[in-house]
Amino acid sequence: MDRIRGDAGEKMRQKKNSGQILLIAAFIMASLLLSAQLYILEVGRSSGEAETDSLDGFMLNVKQGSTHVVVGSLANISNGGSDSILDLNLQEWKSFIGTQYLYGKSVLNYTLHESAPYSSGIWLYWGASGIGASSVYANFTHEVSGLREEIEQSYFTNITTSLMISSTNHMLNETAREVNVSIHVLNEAVPALAKQVTVYYRVSNSSFIPNESNDFRLQSYGNGTYSASFIAAFPTANVEVSTHVIDLRGISVLANVTSIEV
Amino acid sequence: MKVFDQKGQIRIIESFLAIAVVFSAMLVSFTFPTSPDFSKQSSLSNLGTQVLTELDNDGTLGSLILRQNWTSLTTALDILLPMGVSFNLTVFDQAWKTVNSAIIQNSNLLGPEVISIQYVCATRSQTVELFVVRLQLAWTG
Repeated sequence: MDRIRGDAGEKMRQKKNSGQILLIAAFIMASLLLSAQLYILEVGRSSGEAETDSLDGFMLNVKQGSTHVVVGSLANISNGGSDSILDLNLQEWKSFIGTQYLYGKSVLNYTLHESAPYSSGIWLYWGASGIGASSVYANFTHEVSGLREEIEQSYFTNITTSLMISSTNHMLNETAREVNVSIHVLNEAVPALAKQVTVYYRVSNSSFIPNESNDFRLQSYGNGTYSASFIAAFPTANVEVSTHVIDLRGISVLANVTSIEV
Repeated sequence: MKVFDQKGQIRIIESFLAIAVVFSAMLVSFTFPTSPDFSKQSSLSNLGTQVLTELDNDGTLGSLILRQNWTSLTTALDILLPMGVSFNLTVFDQAWKTVNSAIIQNSNLLGPEVISIQYVCATRSQTVELFVVRLQLAWTG
């Protein structure tokens, strides 16, 4: 009888507690639900993709900017500026880049090419053989340490504007000669257009620019090839011609040639 | 008999409480701020970087900034960016002073998620000048 009464009491206690168990279970379910939701939110937030994308973009950005700095410096030097401008500009670019990466540390280093024919990264050859070149060569190393990864990129920038000219002339009368000049402009060995082409001829140690009175004509073939012709008086058979070209990037180059009589 | 009735009421109250707890947890989880769509943001960021890189490829970006040709810069961005993307561009000098005197944008950035791209720009001019270009983009659709 006592045992029966005891079993009934136990069942009553279990029945009494079942409401509390229900509540505890509800709390557990609620906390599981909320923590699962929080986890999903956090996982979504911690995507490293954005940083990687911005790192790649920044590396490309700096490489392109380095090229622009070199082009601008060469434009300055080839137009009579000081050779030191290249180093000064690259120094400024280097320190600027050091402060521009928002997600970590950015260090840009450069060296100027010293192997012949370059000196301090610069080579200006404005020779008498019909060939002229204005060139800059610099090596770069760019290290970026982001929050999740580190990238090091090495590259070189070689900017060269070259000019090739050839000339023929034929006698029209005792002193006058018709001179033809063929001009080829190249950027990094690829035919390129010029912003300005100026032809000179030399008589008695003085240079002259042919004009309308010389029946000067300049024709562009649209592919970096130009031809010029003019008539001038030359006391001797020796006809020296020069061509000065400024390409679309503002880089100046000069070439001299002795015209061949045909 | 009365005690049994009260027990029944308490059980009902407890059940209601349990339901309320679970229901309120569900409500809270539904009203959580939804995670921003990073794939969409990333594609917008890539798009912006590509557009600026393309514009800067031959030094056009630097040249337009130097000539303060803000109208042409706006037109160029309008052409290069797809429809449905609103932009706002600001140019800063090295001292973080705003360079652009006019607003460079196609419409107000109305999208729910605006991304910002920072681009360093060096000019190809004989006197090399350095700028920071900040492009803000948002999907308007």
